[in-house]
Amino acid sequence: MTPTASAAPILELRGITKSYGPVTACDAVDLRVDAGEIHGLLGENGAGKSSLMKVLLGLVRRDDGLVLVRGQEVALDSPQEAAELGIGMVHQHFSLIDALAVWENVALGDSGKVDKQALCAEIAAVSARYGLPIDPEARVGTLSAGERQRVEVVKCLRRNPRILILDEPTSVLTQAESEELFTVLGRVVQEEGRAVILISHKLAEISRATDRVTVLRKGRVAFRAVTAETTPQLLAQQMVGREVSLGEEGAALGLLPVRNPGTGQDEDHDREAHVLRLAGLTVEHDGVRVLDGVDLTVGAGEIVALYGVEGNGQAMLGDVLSGLVVPSAGTVEVAGQEVDLTRPGVLSKAGLGIVPEDRHQSGVVLDMSVAENLTMKSLDQVSGRFLLRQRAMLAEARRLADEFNIVTPSLDTPVRSLSGGNQQRVVLARELSGRTRVLVAAQPTHGLDVGAIEDMYARLRAAAAEGVGVLLISTELEEVMALATWIAVISSGRITGALPVSEATPERLGMLVGGEAA
Amino acid sequence: MSALDSTSTILASGVRLTVPLALAACGEYVAERAGTMNISVEAMMLGSAFTSVATASATGSATLGLVVGLLTGLVIGAVHGNLSHRAQINTFVVGLVLNALVLGLTSFLITTQQFASHQVDLLSVPLLRDIPVIGAPLFSVRWPAYLLIPLVGLTWWLVERSRWGLELRAVGENPQAADVTGVKVNLRRRQALLWCGALAGLGGAYLAVGEVGSFNQNMTAGRGYIVIAAVIFGAWRLGRTLLGCLVFGVSDALRLALPPLGITLNAQLLVAAPYLLALLAMLLFTTQHREPAALGRPFERGST
Repeated sequence: MTPTASAAPILELRGITKSYGPVTACDAVDLRVDAGEIHGLLGENGAGKSSLMKVLLGLVRRDDGLVLVRGQEVALDSPQEAAELGIGMVHQHFSLIDALAVWENVALGDSGKVDKQALCAEIAAVSARYGLPIDPEARVGTLSAGERQRVEVVKCLRRNPRILILDEPTSVLTQAESEELFTVLGRVVQEEGRAVILISHKLAEISRATDRVTVLRKGRVAFRAVTAETTPQLLAQQMVGREVSLGEEGAALGLLPVRNPGTGQDEDHDREAHVLRLAGLTVEHDGVRVLDGVDLTVGAGEIVALYGVEGNGQAMLGDVLSGLVVPSAGTVEVAGQEVDLTRPGVLSKAGLGIVPEDRHQSGVVLDMSVAENLTMKSLDQVSGRFLLRQRAMLAEARRLADEFNIVTPSLDTPVRSLSGGNQQRVVLARELSGRTRVLVAAQPTHGLDVGAIEDMYARLRAAAAEGVGVLLISTELEEVMALATWIAVISSGRITGALPVSEATPERLGMLVGGEAA
Repeated sequence: MSALDSTSTILASGVRLTVPLALAACGEYVAERAGTMNISVEAMMLGSAFTSVATASATGSATLGLVVGLLTGLVIGAVHGNLSHRAQINTFVVGLVLNALVLGLTSFLITTQQFASHQVDLLSVPLLRDIPVIGAPLFSVRWPAYLLIPLVGLTWWLVERSRWGLELRAVGENPQAADVTGVKVNLRRRQALLWCGALAGLGGAYLAVGEVGSFNQNMTAGRGYIVIAAVIFGAWRLGRTLLGCLVFGVSDALRLALPPLGITLNAQLLVAAPYLLALLAMLLFTTQHREPAALGRPFERGST
């Protein structure tokens, strides 16, 4: 299993550099992966992991550097070439086509005649060999997130790749499904001598599953080691480049927070005095119950987390609470008043602010200025009957920008040119301005770096301290454990359980996420 | 005229009016499955109608006119494809410009000279043509109409069974995903537009040298848009799309047949009938949301 020192590694990257305009995504990155190992690639968002893998898959062309496969230099100009070299990737998003059947998805990227029978047989063989049951005839759009993942893995393994790349594979998986995946990966490397590159920002996962690890920071290799000789804490340090505390900062990095009992969060809120109450919320879409009778209560000044793996109805709940989707049944009460969800803008008027999951789609208008984005919800305050009052608008924007530490060259700068963290602060500032009683934060830290994540945590806490009820929709276990007072778990559109954080353990939450009662 | 005779007459006229729509619809169906809402199908039909008549007049061969018509559609498809799926110009803008350009150009060119009238031959199938009522309308028609049968089969097979069609559907549903699996997204879309151009060209040429025998200004009169409506009516399935063509074709035939039968309705209203029907059909059937998910969405690598 251990390769000899003289043997050429199955994959070697030397001095890979890739810039997008003024931004250097990868800066002279070296990476060496041997057959028979799971190699972890760890880094924060924006550290260059994805760019490096895009180079490796032939999706983007590198500016500089060498790629060697089994000691041979290769050009790697197209996805086809990468596939021929035996490099396969299990993509997390954007790679299965909902409208097509499983076997049709698997057939994509092949060449020659389409032979349905042969393909279905092959899929059955691969899925039997690795213990990943899937129905080749099923339409992908009807599958759960975990099943889709299986399709991805089978699709990739069927091509018999020598190097298998997995990009954040567990974000859509329950704990049990993740275990299943890592078991498969273990077999793939140990019994079949393939190499696996596991990209992740989750420390626990890297520590659990990999043999060696390379840490990227700001486009450069910051650290490499044999995983067994490191600790999650050490990896966390290398990832951000400084000491990290084990509390909130650790949580932001994917370490379970260590609670200080002295400052334990109070759980004795009067849960009857709720500011947000969802009762029997049900949404049907294409005959599927995406949300199925969701009951949830958020009290003033508390943070309630809705935890679950991606794709279990959280996005739909976010859409309902944004007023984008009218539920088929159920009610939403804000501050004791039932809200008529068929009319636009009423949720916001009732005092509900939302940090939507996809901030570029529905959080900000990227090409409008910071000031315009900040005052978009409070136009009455900054305009007369017909005309905007520029001065009032700028004054209000200035106030919010100062309060929320938004770093921007000017208030006229388009939001597009701000960093992710600052864009998210713009959303948060706007949604908390006015008389907000409830704040819904859907995956508020997705795609942010550690500094920005910590800042977001602090602000959510501060909002709760001021009496705002916060509903945190999150897929990160560490995040909900660090922030919430109550944790409700969603699975397949249903709330499978809710417990105070003092009673929550990763194991109990894991069972609820899997749809079992804990 | 007996009721049976008039039914047969209306049916015959309905078939004649359906064939060009159905040919073009086979093309439009493919373009839309690949993700292009191709409104230049009108330009393809009108342009080819003109070139087919001009060619037939110059050479004396209506068949050659048909071939040149097909090539004209192909050229317009290539222009559209390169502008919108290579140069990334908005596909609707390209379509509108092409439609306006072809309308203007043909309206001008028709005034520059006289074109002799040529028509392709009738082809009657013995025995079958003697079936009462439906015999003559279906089995005694201009020969290119029979091409519809293999072309429908071929279109279906290409889209549903061939690898090309699988990639085409993938491109129309989720171009990003198709791209990462190694499908050449914009190439497939350009190819789909070529297929659309060839068939819409054939449809337009059939209208001109097949049925009418001459060209007059704006002779397609929005039939391209009716074809688009038929694809929507058909919820992006080939069989239902062709059914839509038949509905529109027959309603067009009824419009022509009613006055001779002594039924008088407001003439303008009758002219508008197929279009009103198309509008109604779209209103009733678009709620099914069966369209290709990436219809009308351009693809450029690197943008999501």
